[in-house]
Amino acid sequence: MTTLFIDDKEITVEPGTSILEACRRHGIEVPYFCYHPELSVAANCRMCLVEVEGWNKPAASCCTPVSEGMKVRTRTEALKKDREMIMEYLLIHHPLDCPVCDQGGDCKLQDYAVEYGPSKGRYSEPKRAVINYDLGPFVNTCMTRCIHCTRCVRFANEIAGTGDIGVLNRGDHMTIAGIVEEALESELSGNLPDICPVGALLDKPSHDLARPWELSHHSSTCIQCPNGCDIQIESRGEQVMRIRPVEGSPEPFICDRGRYVYDSFRSPARILEPQIRQGDGFGSATWEEAFARTVELLKDKRVGILFSPYWSLEGLMSIRLMRDAVFPDAKVAFDLHRRDMRPFAFEEGFSMTTEQIESADQVVVLGCDLRQRLPLLMLRLRKRSRQGRPVTRIGAMNYRTNMSLSNDALIRPRDWHAVIARAMEQVQQLGKTAAGMDEWMASVDGRHEAGKLLADALMADTCALIVGEEIRSHEDAASLIYGLDLLMRACGHAEEGRDGRNLVPEAMNAQMLSAVFGDVRASAGELFALAQAGELDALVLVGSDPVGDGLFPSAAKAALERVPLVQVGAIEGEISRYAEVKLPAAAYVEIEGTFLNMEGRVRTANKPVKSLGEERPLWKVMMRLAMEMGSEPPVVSLEELREALYAAMPEVRDACNSVECDACLIRVGRNRDARALPRKTAEAFPLDVVSRYSMYREGMWARASELLSEAGRIHALDDVLVHPDTLAELGLKPGPLVVESFLGRHTFDIGVRDDVSPGVIYIAKRGVAGDLSDVTSARLVGCGGDS
Amino acid sequence: MIPSDPKQVTQICFDRIRIPDQRRLEVARANGAYSFLPTVLNEFNSEQIIEEVKKSGLRGRGGAGFPTGLKWSFVPRNTGKPTYLLCNADEGEPGTFKDRDIMRYDPHLLIEGMIMAGYALGVRDAYIYIRGEFVAEARVLNEAIAEAYAANLLGENILGSGYSMHLTVHRGAGAYICGEETALIESLEGKPGRPRFKPPFPAVEGFYRCPTVVNNVETLSTIPAILKHGGDWHAAIGAPNSAGCKIFSVSGHVNRPGNYEVPMGTPLKTLIEDYCGGLKRGTVPKAIIPGGSSAPWLTSEHYELPLTFDDLVKAGSMLGSGAIIVMDETADVIKIARRLSHFYAHESCGQCTPCREGTGWLERLMIRLEAGKARASDIEVLRDAAEHMAGRTICALADGAAAPVLSMLKHFPEEVRARVVEKAA
Amino acid sequence: MTMNEAPRFSEERLQEIQALVARYPGPQSALLPVLHMAQEDFGYLSLDVQKYVAEVLGLTLIQVREVVTFYTMFREQPCGKYLMEVCTNASCMLNGADELVRHMCDKLGIKVGETTPDGMFTVTEVECAGACSGAPVVQINNVYHENVDAAYIDAFIEKASKEDAA
Ligand SMILES: Cc1cc2nc3c(=O)[nH]c(=O)nc-3n(C[C@H](O)[C@H](O)[C@H](O)COP(=O)(O)O)c2cc1C
Ligand code: SF4
Ligand code: FES
Repeated sequence: MTTLFIDDKEITVEPGTSILEACRRHGIEVPYFCYHPELSVAANCRMCLVEVEGWNKPAASCCTPVSEGMKVRTRTEALKKDREMIMEYLLIHHPLDCPVCDQGGDCKLQDYAVEYGPSKGRYSEPKRAVINYDLGPFVNTCMTRCIHCTRCVRFANEIAGTGDIGVLNRGDHMTIAGIVEEALESELSGNLPDICPVGALLDKPSHDLARPWELSHHSSTCIQCPNGCDIQIESRGEQVMRIRPVEGSPEPFICDRGRYVYDSFRSPARILEPQIRQGDGFGSATWEEAFARTVELLKDKRVGILFSPYWSLEGLMSIRLMRDAVFPDAKVAFDLHRRDMRPFAFEEGFSMTTEQIESADQVVVLGCDLRQRLPLLMLRLRKRSRQGRPVTRIGAMNYRTNMSLSNDALIRPRDWHAVIARAMEQVQQLGKTAAGMDEWMASVDGRHEAGKLLADALMADTCALIVGEEIRSHEDAASLIYGLDLLMRACGHAEEGRDGRNLVPEAMNAQMLSAVFGDVRASAGELFALAQAGELDALVLVGSDPVGDGLFPSAAKAALERVPLVQVGAIEGEISRYAEVKLPAAAYVEIEGTFLNMEGRVRTANKPVKSLGEERPLWKVMMRLAMEMGSEPPVVSLEELREALYAAMPEVRDACNSVECDACLIRVGRNRDARALPRKTAEAFPLDVVSRYSMYREGMWARASELLSEAGRIHALDDVLVHPDTLAELGLKPGPLVVESFLGRHTFDIGVRDDVSPGVIYIAKRGVAGDLSDVTSARLVGCGGDS
Repeated sequence: MIPSDPKQVTQICFDRIRIPDQRRLEVARANGAYSFLPTVLNEFNSEQIIEEVKKSGLRGRGGAGFPTGLKWSFVPRNTGKPTYLLCNADEGEPGTFKDRDIMRYDPHLLIEGMIMAGYALGVRDAYIYIRGEFVAEARVLNEAIAEAYAANLLGENILGSGYSMHLTVHRGAGAYICGEETALIESLEGKPGRPRFKPPFPAVEGFYRCPTVVNNVETLSTIPAILKHGGDWHAAIGAPNSAGCKIFSVSGHVNRPGNYEVPMGTPLKTLIEDYCGGLKRGTVPKAIIPGGSSAPWLTSEHYELPLTFDDLVKAGSMLGSGAIIVMDETADVIKIARRLSHFYAHESCGQCTPCREGTGWLERLMIRLEAGKARASDIEVLRDAAEHMAGRTICALADGAAAPVLSMLKHFPEEVRARVVEKAA
Repeated sequence: MTMNEAPRFSEERLQEIQALVARYPGPQSALLPVLHMAQEDFGYLSLDVQKYVAEVLGLTLIQVREVVTFYTMFREQPCGKYLMEVCTNASCMLNGADELVRHMCDKLGIKVGETTPDGMFTVTEVECAGACSGAPVVQINNVYHENVDAAYIDAFIEKASKEDAA
């Protein structure tokens, strides 16, 4: 540790810390523009000057490391003049348009001009002219305000990894420029306006809509992906104007999906009042009428319940309580991406924190489009790759990551067994094994060389295994995960403190779902099959859009042709056209509640945004449903509900009551006796089908958001993609081709990309190819009509 | 041949410069080039060489005057990373044109110096970063390097010594700032030449974040003589704390402008009168820029000053690159300061606020002043804007930019006052 | 190269570039030399040329744009057959560079930075050329001409015009 004196205060920091960081950590205010704790140091604004005893000139504190016994002064007359001059230099070309600037009131330049600036600028020469850039749907530019701090450039290079912003020219002709076709490539582009300390890069969607001082702030949790970022919602009245990350939370950035989804809160797709089907359409109804119809549909019926995992823990608990009270035999499903319902050796959720993953010796990503699924975790992997740490990836597609991978293998989903078996073989050769491994290997015929990459990584001291949707959705997922579990145990990555098993969950709250619903869960596919077979009379849907999302759209449609649907939710999906009744439940920004992210961190949302209509918190809707169905409501207050939740998951109470709430992690479920051996399956068709997740198009909220839909359009790939060799082998050319599967023959436009594994058909779940999501294998045939 | 008695030495780098065809290996060798190289490669070790260079008192000839041996000793050994040697042949400092002569007339001297330096530092790959405009000089260097490769003076296992070094000439493309060593490194990495802040210093983290030594052409060209004759020999030449000879590039209002290598400590007046044939007009200069355009100006009161690092600092200026621009009484100092302000505004890399904005501001103020359109109050602004650039930026360009303006204000207040108007047009 | 043709280096050039890249720890180091080659081969660095260079070296377009716009020797616009760059920095100025520029412009009927309508001559001012003992210095197509005066320039212009007419 290094001890120094800042303004006579004795301070101890880690060696190598900059003076500026030392000041920041000890509440000593030093002004700065270009420094940003998440970005590399540029030291170009020169605002952070301080004096160091014995030095003949002022030092830029952001790039000057502390040294033992150093004596630093941050407030002297000379520095006051220096800061005044820096402000004067900065302002000579800056327009004086604070009153019309979106950043006004939230601008470092404005703040510092007041605090440190000269009373009057003395520059009387011509100002320079600059041009603005079109950076796509999320970012506006007003480059006359740019102060050339290069934060945005460093963000694009270091955080987004896209490198599509740069510095052109030199001297005072220097300009920041974007090189973009239609929009910034990054899924994190919405952070740029936050990164920009002045009003040069602005949030386009909220441009000119509100001044910072008109907004009220609400803290909440984003449920748009399992990372569950803390968010700050800015609203004017009941209208959400903006969503931003929360300073000081585990991740200082949020992704565009989480940020721009807010226009869906007021979209026509919101369910804001009870509705009852009338012919082809819906009519508004009172709660009484709607419940009367609901009771008619559900009373004494065999009911299946499907819900989405994005409700709060309280909401989810209320679903369980309602089910137990009213439909004690009902099957419950909540995964739309799981085909294999046997227990997994390690359940969905992360054993490691994202910080631990960032610093692990090795990271292996298996079958996951992390950039789309978990953009913030991807950001961490980019950070580690910048530090020269390896990342290995194996999967059906070279999903674009904006970083260089140290190892990369393309495989077909049907090869997973062979990959894992090959890895087992290798670790055994190196003397590492686990009971059950021999048996597992013996039931797999082939070996795939990609397994070697996996085994190599497992030899490290710490190894983070990130298992993605290609495995989770696999028909034989339980055996694959068991196989991976054996490997991890053999190599010491399952021990307490070194547990590297991370299964990317479908959504938030995964740990709670397996703990609370483990005994009654079924697959969504199974529910639909039962309904189709006449073994169910009605479906209750709480959130979720199995027609729009997931792997079972055609099964869902077929089921709903047969049985009526009661929809409880905050927003409609494509499924809503099948509903008989719609009961409005409050959206995630409109409630107080608790959430769990994939790491098991407890996030709490409080100070909700006002409701827009008649929607009620889900738990109230569930309890009212129980009452209407003739049961005693299991709980009558949020406190009682929380008690029920804590009874089922005592660790949540502990975490909620702890001051260090962020540090308490809810553990992922383990099934120590889930011994699933590989099944010998013969694929019906020669090509494997993998469906692509798009952060701009998946989920009802995203689809109801015009902003995200626009970005989805810009970033869309072809609907169906294959490797050029796959077509060449069949003697086919890109263009309209017939895909034959158990669903029949359908014609799709087929594109080629060499980052798709040969032997794989890669489909966009949204768009025309959506129905293929049900399919795991298919055949490509030359052109021809649909059958 | 350089005499072995230090008292007789008057030239080191220019010793063979006037020999016709000296650029050809054959001729150079006949005149002693590379004659001592086998001894160095076979009998000296790294520590010995660095010790000799330390002893020699050689200070960098590129502008900053940093002791060369000390710089070399900062290079960490056994880091597992390669060490690079970069020769700074950017020669951009206005008034400087000395390295050009070494490169075009005696390229083998530089190459030999680089091989010796490379050997001392354990370098495998060395580069000469030459300013883009020096097309002919780059060609001469490339021809000389090709000859050296053919003679096994470069490449693998040089002269059977077991030491291997590769040398590449790299052309810049028009940017004064790339003479600053960290900007040079950025430029050599294929990026805009924006200086890096220090620490880390290039010796520890330079080219591709590996240990790197950057030395000026003249500095490296002095190495062969130092190793041949010994560090003590070199230390005995010149003046205390300013050992050896120095090439001064003299230009402006003198009768015989040119490069003159003289022992350090030679008085300014001797250089100008005895070597350059005196001033074009008059007997004493009105103003002298002694170390390239970034050096604060001197006036006639310093005409007798001995040319050493310390004496120039004492006089409020610096030796810099040894470029001396002489102005006689006909010079319009305001115009010169305005022109130099334009230079710095044009050449600022743009990253530091005070330099990016300040250089442009100074130039615009100077244009008005020169045109007689500045108010008296503008003079204080000018001084303030210049004073607060210097010493507050990543590199020293901003200091250089402030120097002409502050010098003008300091030495010629009357002329400035005469130029301002009470009410600006 | 005609206007619409995509820029392409010759085979020899590509081989030269490959050899060049091998001399550096990373391919980006070859960017300045390759841009010099591109300017020599294609006359100036149009956006298409910059894209092509990015592709050849495996860089992003912004990396190339940053460099092209930073260095003054790289031109994004075509210039005259004779690019006459006059140093007007201190030493040359003290020796009449300003008067020389004025003379050249008057003679050619253009302003600084412009090209004669016949596409023959461009006159620009540049910073210190590093040859101050020969002030004033004019670089014509990268060849140094020292101690230049009006008569020298007149003769040069006449000779060049005559050669072109022939
Ligand atoms: C703005 C600026 C321009 C410089 N230009 C040159 C130059 O053209 N040639 C040079 O050798 N050094 C130049 N230097 C000095 C170098 O940064 C560095 O000190 C020198 O190359 C080190 O070599 P030396 O120790 O052999 O002198 C410049 C420095 C600055 C701040
Ligand atoms: S002082 Fe000027 S030239 Fe030097 S780094 Fe800063 S902006 Fe660039
Ligand atoms: S914060 Fe230190 S220079 Fe900008």
